[in-house]
Amino acid sequence: MLRITVRKQNGIFAVSPIIRRTVIGALVIGILLFIVGLIALSTGPVSMSFTGTLSVLLAHLGIGEPSATATQQAVIDNIRIPRLLLALGAGAGLGVAGATMQGLFRNPLADPGIIGVSAGGALGAVIAIATGLAAISTLYLPLFAFTGAAGAMVLVFVVAMAGRGRMSMASLLLTGVAVSSLLGAITSAIIILTSQLEAQRQMVFWLAGGLEAARWDTVRIVLPIVAAGFIVILAFGRDLNLLLVGDDEAKSLGVRTGLVRSALITAAALLTGTAVAFSGTIAFVGLVVPHSIRMIAGPDHRALLPLSALGGGLFLLIADTLARNIAHPVEIRVGIITALFGAPFFLFLLIKNRSRVDAL
Amino acid sequence: MTARTTSATTATVNSPRGASLEARDAVLRYGDTCILSGTTVRVQPRVVTGIVGPNGSGKSTLLRALAGLASLDAGSVSLDGVPIGQITPKIRARRIAYMPQASSDHAFTALELVLMGRYPHMGMFQMESRSDIQIAEDAMQQTGTSDFASRRMHELSGGERQRVSLARVLAQQADVLLLDEPTASLDLQHQLLTMMMARQQADTGVAVAVVLHDLSLAARHCDVIYLLDKGRVVAEGAPWDVVTQPNLRSAFSVDAAIEPDALTGRPSVSLLGIGSTDETTSDRLPKRVHIIGGAGSGRDLMHRLQLAGHTVTSCVLGEGDADHETATRLGIQHVASAPFSVITLEQDAAHRKLVREADVVIVCEMAVGPGNLRNIEAAVEAKRLVLIERQSGAEWDYTGGSAETVYSGLSSAGETVRRDAVVDTVNTLY
Repeated sequence: MLRITVRKQNGIFAVSPIIRRTVIGALVIGILLFIVGLIALSTGPVSMSFTGTLSVLLAHLGIGEPSATATQQAVIDNIRIPRLLLALGAGAGLGVAGATMQGLFRNPLADPGIIGVSAGGALGAVIAIATGLAAISTLYLPLFAFTGAAGAMVLVFVVAMAGRGRMSMASLLLTGVAVSSLLGAITSAIIILTSQLEAQRQMVFWLAGGLEAARWDTVRIVLPIVAAGFIVILAFGRDLNLLLVGDDEAKSLGVRTGLVRSALITAAALLTGTAVAFSGTIAFVGLVVPHSIRMIAGPDHRALLPLSALGGGLFLLIADTLARNIAHPVEIRVGIITALFGAPFFLFLLIKNRSRVDAL
Repeated sequence: MTARTTSATTATVNSPRGASLEARDAVLRYGDTCILSGTTVRVQPRVVTGIVGPNGSGKSTLLRALAGLASLDAGSVSLDGVPIGQITPKIRARRIAYMPQASSDHAFTALELVLMGRYPHMGMFQMESRSDIQIAEDAMQQTGTSDFASRRMHELSGGERQRVSLARVLAQQADVLLLDEPTASLDLQHQLLTMMMARQQADTGVAVAVVLHDLSLAARHCDVIYLLDKGRVVAEGAPWDVVTQPNLRSAFSVDAAIEPDALTGRPSVSLLGIGSTDETTSDRLPKRVHIIGGAGSGRDLMHRLQLAGHTVTSCVLGEGDADHETATRLGIQHVASAPFSVITLEQDAAHRKLVREADVVIVCEMAVGPGNLRNIEAAVEAKRLVLIERQSGAEWDYTGGSAETVYSGLSSAGETVRRDAVVDTVNTLY
């Protein structure tokens, strides 16, 4: 498909095959994003025509006049655009974090929450709800969730490195799994022991993941963090390639493996923690998106990372649009949709590309 | 960017700066085990340096230390006198290329992997330039891997992967090339090609070090060899100084015959058996076995009985005789005589002494003439006698009947067995 062999080519195609692959992939995903984005902005309780939506968007760019009512404009500007941007930001963060973790751990099963970040975020959120703080200000919940995610990461690092003085990826992985289980158990206990039915419902709701927290002020926090994390990780794209090939290869080709690993894990955890803090635990994005991209564009992280960011955004936007509209007026949680549709889609890809999934 | 492209283009011709890499008194421990205990080696430009030694002798660790990948507990590694820790990893990667023994499974294509050899030459967000791709393709051509450039690494065989990895380190265009068992899973042709590649690199000025487990291969292709045992250099120098019987016995616990390779004159190793320090033969009693043969009838038994742990001696053998050659090579005591001469009385006396000392004497089914009649006559002094069954009807007595007479006397004194049962018979004698 997008696999292009390197041959002498002239003119504008005489660029790196990695760049070519990335640009073509980005164009395809970009077109899909535009279409899905238009649908996402136009559908919902206040529905409107695609041309109406377009005219509102164009008016923001100073082109033409919006052909929509004031209500419709307000819904798009204050509700749907922030929600779309949060979907893109969180999806991109999860996609990039997933691709990074899989490369770092050389493990196709690694997901963004592998070192306990998601479980920590969940515990933080549940505590915020249980203590009633979440009801006081809407910023408490993401703050607690993010603190939980960061705390879990630090805990995993400290335990994995205890008495060893250096970081072993295997012990990091195992510690991450153990800490996730522990924090998950505490989270479940708090949910069960919460006597108020409404708080309990809120907790379960949050755990299933959702983007209703999207407002301009949340988007202003999420997008810069995701952008910064993405750029840091992308700068290490070549190093990630080498780490996937082997430790000694990476070191002998000039990678400071310890430093690069720490930087990458921290950046990926930051992306995951941010996504979890503002959208709950959304399953499967970090797993299904990088693998799908890898099957099409190959394992080179310089193509894989940007395409996973775009793909993650697209995937979450599709899932959220479905979640909002599929059982109208009831809104299904987006985390349920990602798993419900993502898992069969992933299985389909696995069967179709059986020969390509033997190795990362 | 322009500057880099130019340098990369000229680098296609490859003019390395000729760096020398040295490990001095290197000590490295894993817990209580000392992997390297004061190892000193020097890898020099234009020289192919071989590192050999038994399993676990620290060869690979030494190579990793030279590459700057293993941190030492004591001692130092320096590149042109500069401690390797003081060189930034990226600069080091431009000067030292290292090929590990095996790599993990991954789905990069062969060309993508070879291009990774260019990473140290690229800036942070820079992509592979045309000249990088050209260098990678050249390296693949040199290693004969161009045909599978677009195949994924995890789909290739072990030997193919090894050759792609070799192309990767070549593409790195470093001044020092460190190869860890680059021929391990290669067929004969590609073993040779790989070693020729190492030679070519050395000829252009690169310092090459190769860990090898095949001593003959090392002796044939390396200029300098370091023999490692238990983390120590036990011998170093030219192949003839290092690949010697005593060295192999002490480092590998094997007995080996070492003779000049017919083609190159370099030492070539033929394995004879496990060194006497080993316990594999302790369950049966080693004996002193004397073989009366000649004209090639005894050579196979000499070898097999020696392998079985026995002390083997042989009869009077003319120079140039096939058995004489084998006996000399295996270090088997025998009585040498002029070619095709009749056995003298002195030779006979020396021979009879060997016969008397032997626990068992084996008489082979060689032809007997006036020249070697005394060989079988001496057999009457044997403590125990084993005769190898002769094919009925085959003519062997060229003495006009004397040999027949001696032989029938021997048959009644000893037991006659088939050739393929001789070793077993000797082993099971009490």
